[in-house]
Amino acid sequence: MRKLLILFFIAPLFVVSSCDKEPEIEIVGNVEVNLKANYDGEQFMTQQEYVYTSAINVKFTEFNLYVSNISLLEFENSTEETELAEVDFVNLSFTTDQATEAAAGYDLSTKKVPSGTYRAVKIGFGLPADINRTSPGDYGNGNALATSTHYWASANSYVFSKIEGFSDNNGNGIFEASEDEGIRFHLGQDEVYTERILFPSEPIVVEEDGTVNLSLNIDVKKLFEISDITYDANQDGLLDIENYSSSREDTDDPGFLVDRTIMSNYSSATKLNQ
Amino acid sequence: MIRNLLVSTLLIFIIAAGCKEVSSFQEPLDLSQIAYHPNPVPIKVPKGFPQLPLVNKNPQTEEGIALGRKLFHDPILSADSTMSCASCHFAHLAMTDGKALSKGIDQKEGLRSAMSLVNVAFYNEGFFWDGRVKSLEEQALLPVEDSIELHNSWDQLVDKLRTHPEYPVYFRKAFGIDSVAQIDKYMAANAMAQFEKTLISANSRYDQIERGEEEYTPDEKAGYEIFFDDSKELPDGECGHCHNVPLMTTNEFLNNGITYAEKASDFPDLGRGGFTGSQFDNGKFRVPSLRNIALTAPYMHDGRFKTLEEVVDHYASGGHYSPSVSPLIKPLNLDETQKRQLIAFLNTLTDLKFVQETQQSEVY
Ligand code: HEC
Ligand code: HEC
Repeated sequence: MRKLLILFFIAPLFVVSSCDKEPEIEIVGNVEVNLKANYDGEQFMTQQEYVYTSAINVKFTEFNLYVSNISLLEFENSTEETELAEVDFVNLSFTTDQATEAAAGYDLSTKKVPSGTYRAVKIGFGLPADINRTSPGDYGNGNALATSTHYWASANSYVFSKIEGFSDNNGNGIFEASEDEGIRFHLGQDEVYTERILFPSEPIVVEEDGTVNLSLNIDVKKLFEISDITYDANQDGLLDIENYSSSREDTDDPGFLVDRTIMSNYSSATKLNQ
Repeated sequence: MIRNLLVSTLLIFIIAAGCKEVSSFQEPLDLSQIAYHPNPVPIKVPKGFPQLPLVNKNPQTEEGIALGRKLFHDPILSADSTMSCASCHFAHLAMTDGKALSKGIDQKEGLRSAMSLVNVAFYNEGFFWDGRVKSLEEQALLPVEDSIELHNSWDQLVDKLRTHPEYPVYFRKAFGIDSVAQIDKYMAANAMAQFEKTLISANSRYDQIERGEEEYTPDEKAGYEIFFDDSKELPDGECGHCHNVPLMTTNEFLNNGITYAEKASDFPDLGRGGFTGSQFDNGKFRVPSLRNIALTAPYMHDGRFKTLEEVVDHYASGGHYSPSVSPLIKPLNLDETQKRQLIAFLNTLTDLKFVQETQQSEVY
């Protein structure tokens, strides 16, 4: 009886330890993810003048965003995700004297994943609600979420993306610090979090010890595409930047539609190249 | 052969004598009998404040802080023994000097206004208005030799510290050195940095209200809402984008439109650009914290505004054009009541308890 009892206690130990000891010898390869920006096909840099409409040139001074939940999917509707990055802060505010850095873009840290064939990449623009509930004080020094530059306490939300700059509405060649010429988008709050599944033209094949590079390129001009007549008086498919050039905090404010639209445009503005 | 030997013996003597001269100090006084029991004093991070780096190369101890506090306030630091750090960083002015531009021992005016040292433990984007210095330890080395500040030399100062009746014991207790000859400028700077990191202010009326202990008056509340763009009825002041919680600064380098400049090269003080060399940074300065702002007049890097009324008038007007001005600067459409309300909110950022405690611990 004693023996049996002992066995009773010891047996599970064996089972547990044997589970531990039986590591699936995983065959892995590396995936690098890189993000960069363009403006209507041209390399994007801050301080560079770009054509917005035939009447208005724009110049940006800051452009950055949080990305989250980046993962690989084996097939389109797969619920199994291979995580590449949980959260990262991507700053693409390279000035015209940093053209090389702008061309190189921002590298997320390289991730080891099981080798195999993947057919889709999932990416979140902004932060999902569970992360957005936290605040900078919750994170250690150096963490992407520890910065006070991208937290808006009165909305209890991180600023998912900042797009700042100027539009030369009166065409006088000067980007003025004025109500209508400043562009001040600080996009945030749970409502505007955007997730997208991107399909590469060819499946992503991660070979043993091989390295695959996934390059995501965001067209900043496409972020301003809007079809609502209120916000596109000229009906050229682009936000009427003369009159709508800053974020709303109140999600019930009709103008919040602009914030919502810009964030959801990240989906269509982002192209995946291998 | 014998001649050779003689010459080399002589040479050795000369070298040895030379060596002795180099270490100018006569008798390396032994300190090893004095007790060395440093008491660690970790920095208490107020709730909601940024966490500090896990690795601290200059850990705080009671003894290190005591030495740093003594040095910070001691005119021994200046060439003519008239000024110390505390001559430009007064506790009752929230660690500023009340002057537009600071003056050093030779009565020469510097180019910039003294900065508040409140909550410096939490800054990591570079110190000074242009962010040119990486750490407090590095910073504390500079004023001593700056010709428009203490205009001393570290060699002289270190000699004075080594022969001083009190300092050797302080250094021993703080850093465990065995002889006075080991006292050097880096230890002195580390100690001052340890002291500066104790200057934590998180008990203003604003903080008490945030903690639910107090409530805003209607004016303060309206001011808060203007500051943080938090009301549909009131104009957006946009202040919080740059002077964000909890430190009331994001520590970014930005241009808040106080200087007109047609071209990037026109700024009288290039600010950040003078350090980075990028024309796009010309005219940008580190966003200062607004904690205790009512105590730190005059305002801006060159002290150009005497009062908070002048500051608010500046922002309300939309400021001046320059190539690096931030898009967040624009005319604000504030009426006189709203300006007053904004200032009422700024006044809630004063932490008198911090001031009193710091004043009480001042040593002269
Ligand atoms: C003559 C007046 C004067 C004296 C003396 C002086 N300071 Fe300062 N302090 C200033 C000025 C002016 C600045 C801003 C300088 C700049 O940005 O170029 C400053 C800035 C600083 C800063 C940067 C704070 C920040 O947030 O970036 C620190 C830290 C500091 N001083 C510490 C000290 C210490 C320690 C001493 C003594 C060793 C000292 N100061 C002596 C005038 C003075
Ligand atoms: C674009 C960012 C930005 C915005 C918006 C902004 N500030 Fe500032 N603020 C700064 C910078 C940068 C400085 C320092 C500028 C300098 O000295 O050259 C500063 C300085 C100040 C100072 C002086 C601080 C000192 O220690 O001398 C006060 C007071 C102040 N701001 C209040 C406000 C208020 C009130 C608002 C809103 C109406 C506001 N700021 C909006 C960036 C900003």
